[in-house]
Parts: sequence; structure tokens; C-alpha cells
Amino acid sequence: MLPSGVFSENYEQDKAILRTRLRWSWFFILLLLLALGPLIIPEAYLGALCLMSIFLIAVLGLQILVGYCGQINLGQSSFMGVGGIIGCWAAMKFNLSIEPTLIIGGLASAVYGLIFALPAIRLKGYYLALTTLAAQFIFHFVFTRVPSDFFFGTYGGFPVKSLSLLTGTTLNSPNSIYYLIICVTVIFTFFAFNISRSRLGRAFMAVRDNDIAAEVMGINVIVYKFLAFVICAFFAGVAGVLWGFYMRYVNVEQFTLWQSIWMLGMIIVGGVGSILGAVLGVIFIRLIQETVNVLGPTLVAAFPAQYGISVIFAGMSLIIGLIVIIFLIYEPRGLAHRWRLIYRSYHLWPFPY
Amino acid sequence: MVNFVQTVLSGVFMGGIYAGVAVSFIVIFRSTQVFNFAQGEIVMIGGFLSWTVLAHTPLPWWFGVIVAMALSAGVGILLEKLVIRPLIGQPLFSLIMVTIALILALRGLSIMIWGALPRRFPPLFGTTALHFGPFSFSPSLFYGMIIISLLIFALWWMFGHTTRGLTMSAIAEDHQIARAMGISVKQSMSVAWAMAGALSVLAAITWLSGRSIGFLAADIGLRALPCAMLAGLESIKGALLAGIIVGICESFAIGYLDDLTAGGMSLVMPFLIMLIILLLKPEGLFGWRRIERL
Repeated sequence: MLPSGVFSENYEQDKAILRTRLRWSWFFILLLLLALGPLIIPEAYLGALCLMSIFLIAVLGLQILVGYCGQINLGQSSFMGVGGIIGCWAAMKFNLSIEPTLIIGGLASAVYGLIFALPAIRLKGYYLALTTLAAQFIFHFVFTRVPSDFFFGTYGGFPVKSLSLLTGTTLNSPNSIYYLIICVTVIFTFFAFNISRSRLGRAFMAVRDNDIAAEVMGINVIVYKFLAFVICAFFAGVAGVLWGFYMRYVNVEQFTLWQSIWMLGMIIVGGVGSILGAVLGVIFIRLIQETVNVLGPTLVAAFPAQYGISVIFAGMSLIIGLIVIIFLIYEPRGLAHRWRLIYRSYHLWPFPY
Repeated sequence: MVNFVQTVLSGVFMGGIYAGVAVSFIVIFRSTQVFNFAQGEIVMIGGFLSWTVLAHTPLPWWFGVIVAMALSAGVGILLEKLVIRPLIGQPLFSLIMVTIALILALRGLSIMIWGALPRRFPPLFGTTALHFGPFSFSPSLFYGMIIISLLIFALWWMFGHTTRGLTMSAIAEDHQIARAMGISVKQSMSVAWAMAGALSVLAAITWLSGRSIGFLAADIGLRALPCAMLAGLESIKGALLAGIIVGICESFAIGYLDDLTAGGMSLVMPFLIMLIILLLKPEGLFGWRRIERL
């Protein structure tokens, strides 16, 4: 909601995302903080921020598909994997720069997503969830069986060497990778915001709310479902390529079913059908995961020795599973809704409404 | 030729196990319209419960199995009361996500309780392979197939011919109309989850006896999912047929394709069959065709 005294005198003002000076200043403070990141944040936490941003890109794609278009996708991390592996492979093979690599990864993933969008023409709900689950298994099956000479002598993955931008600068320090990831994330967040506000996003929402009604209103449901899958997979593919740059290694084993489920959990915790929700959900779940990882050794020590490090996986699964269940039951609209309530009461204080 | 028939038969028997798990998906779906993605985890917990009872108490094994079934039915009722019931009437997406979150929570919980190391499950049906002419089978799969087929026919009879079963089918059709007709939806849902819990103990003991049990046992759920989809989510007898189809295809994949694909073709086979069938027939082989209206 807008504070009182803000009026639109023309359509441009009405369409703007940031409409008050205060919001512009907050926006610039955020950008400044991100730009100064490496100076003020210790290096260990910088890595966590990079991973958060990478996941944010994938989760934004998932939010467009799941939250706006209402199609279920249990294979987002396999889309990420296809983009990451094929993008980085092309970059290694043909010595590409970073920008074309990102686009190739995104497109490869979009093509893979399109294959699994085919069932979405006829299937809904549970059935669709199952076919996207198949995407995860087929990804794993195909890429573990690629001959090793294709992957530069290893099975299932390969190391990624430092690449350079189109301008010729080679990005090989952690800080330069950080800036790359943050720039791409800001661009994709901007796109995601505008997709949800445009005709495309409104058509997605119509399909989500009732696809038969949407068809009657003149929306080509099949085309829009395909588009949602393609956009979702493109975001995931770009995230996968960035993952490869950041980890300096891509492997099939990094893109598990659990990651897909965690990403869906991020959407639920943040709020289904809200871009702000995707951001909040990623931050919340990633913070929990980082905390469990940090507490890992204590956790392992607290359990009898034969449990070993599987306790960390178990604890993480248990905590995230319970959080998702609790959010679904008690706050199905997620953190984004909570945030809006707090924002509103702050604005209207001391009046209740 | 002997090889070929042996491949078919072992596929049929493996399919019996899949059918056993798939039918517990279907029992829940038919009476609650909830598809429980965490059924594999319930099978795993059923297996762990029966392992605990059989390995730590002096009870005779058949009585131990009954105790484990009662415990597992209790787990089913608990899950339904705590997690599923508050979400009835919410969008389908919430119901899908809550069962997926259950996968995470139950896996984590079972590792916390029983540890991550696989344990040996006592062989309940003996260890000597059964021989019929030139063919040999694992005894647990053979007896398991018999038990599960009998059970599936009993369930089919229950859902089609008893008052309880018919009321449960009415709920699958439409919650609101069923309530208007005086059917207690809550009670039927508890019964369905209890039945699914007890059924998964049977599936677990026939599958696991003589093998090792660990938290990876839950993956049987992911492999039986395509069977339930293939059968159509409402068909009890369809589960048996779908299980057998998937079992045979998988066993052919193990026998003839795994060498060509460095193993693993058998793992994606159920999903490939499911994808093809669902593209041709979206409601599965024997599912109810629903007409959508505005």
C-alpha cells in the first residue's frame, strides 16, 4: 500500500515499481550494501550470500511456474542441473565467454523443461507432480551415463575453469564471482517482478485460478503453460551455470531431488504467488540450512558414534519438513503476508486501519 | 526360453510388492482425495516398527507382525490427525506439498530414531529358494505375492460391497455431497490412514524379509508411485495389474537393457512407462474419468 499523499498524475507514475522517494532511497541503500558486500562481509558469509543468490534465481523461476501459473514442479533442481552441466560443458569445449554460457545454459534447460511441459497439456495436480518427478530421475539417469571422454575424462561431471566476460576480463577471484552472481540476480529479480505485473503474469494467474475459465476468456492455456515452464526452466538453467562458476565443479550428484523439494519449501515459507515471498523464503530456508551446517559437528557429537554425519542430513530434513508443515497449516500465505501486515500496521500507526 | 519365463515370473513377483505399496496409495486417495507422496516413508517406518518388534521381543513372528501392524496403523492415524486434517479444504497444492514435507520430516525422524546404518531384517519365510521345475523364486516374494493378491481382492470387495467401503468411495467422489448424505468424512479418513499404515507393514515385511532395512527402504515408495498412477488413482484391482506390468517391464530392463546402459535402466523404466501411459490416457488405465465443469 502507498502512504497518503502519493498521487499518480499520469500512467507512467501509476506503472512505476518504486513510487516514493523513500523507496528509491531504500533501493539504493540495498544496491550499495550489495556492492560493498566483499568489504563489509567476512569471506565465509560471502559464500552463503552467493549460494542464496543462486538459489534465488532458481526459486524465482519456480515461483513464476508454481505460484503464478499454478503448475507443480518437483524437478527444479534437475532443470538447474541440465543448464549447469550443458552450459559449462559448452563453455569448456568451445572456450566461450560468460554471457553466452549463461544463455546457452538457460536455453538448454528451457528445452529440457519443454519436454516435461508436454504432459502438462493434459495433466493436472497429482499427475503433473509425478511427471516432473520423472524429470529428476531421467536427468540423473542420462547424465550419469554420458561417456567419460565427453565429460573431459570424468563421469557425471567435470571441473569448471575460470571464464572471462565478453570485455575480456577474466573472473577468477571469489569477489569477482560474487559481483557476477549479484548482477545476474538483480537483473532476474527485475524480470520476475515485471513478468508478474504484465499481461503474461495476469494470464498465468488466470490459468492458475481456473484454466477452463481462462480458456473461455480467450487465453491460450497450452501456450501459457508452455511459456511458464520455459521461463521457469530458463531461470533454473542460468542458476545452474552460476552454480558451476561458483563451485568450480558441476556434477549430477549436486542436483538432487531434495534440492527440488527444498526449493518448493522456500516458496511455501516465503509465500506462494509473490516475488517478495520467493526472496524471503530463500533467505529463511538458506539461513536454517547454514545454521544446521555450522552446528553440524556439535550435532554429530551429541548423537552416538554409529550415527555419523547422516545426523546432519536427518536434522536438516526434519527441521525443514516441520517448518513447511507448520507454515502450510498456520500461515499458508507465508512470510510475505506477515511482512505486508507489519508494513501496514507500521504505516497506519496509531490507527488500526 | 527358461531365461525368458524366469524373467517374466520374477517380474510378476516383484510387481506384487509394488502393487502392495501402490494399493496403500490408492486406499488413501479413494477415501480422502489426498495422494500421499510419503507412502514410501510409511512403508519404511512400518518396516522399522516390525524390525523393532521382531528383533527385540520374544513374540512369535505372526503375532509380532500383528503388533507392528497395529502400531503402524496408529502412526497413520496420528499423521492424519496432526497434518492432513487441518488442511482439508485447502488448495490441492497445499495437500501435495504437505505430503512432500512429510517425506523430509519422516526420513529425518527415522534416521534420528533408528540410525542410518542398514540392519538385517529377519527372514520370516525361510531362506531356501523355492523351485518349480527349472524356475526358482525367493520365498518371501512368492508368499508375499499370495498375501498381497488376497489382500487386494479383499479390499476390492470391501470398497465395492460393504457399507463402510461404499461410504468411503462416496467421499472420493465429492466430500460435500458425502457429508450431505450423512457420511462422516473425518471417521472415514482416519480409517483409510489406519488401513494404509497396516498395509504398508505387510508390504514392508514381504519385501524386506531376509534383506537389510535402512532409511533407503523408503525409495520403494518412489518406485511404486508410477504403479499407482498407471492403475488410475481410484482402482484397487488395477493396482495389482499395474504392479505386475511395471514389475515385468522392470525385470526385462534388468535382464536385457541394463548391460547396454551401464545399469539403471530398470530404475527409470517405471517412470518411462508412466509417462507414456499418462500422455495417452491421463486418468490412468482404470481410473475414474472426471468431467470438469465451470
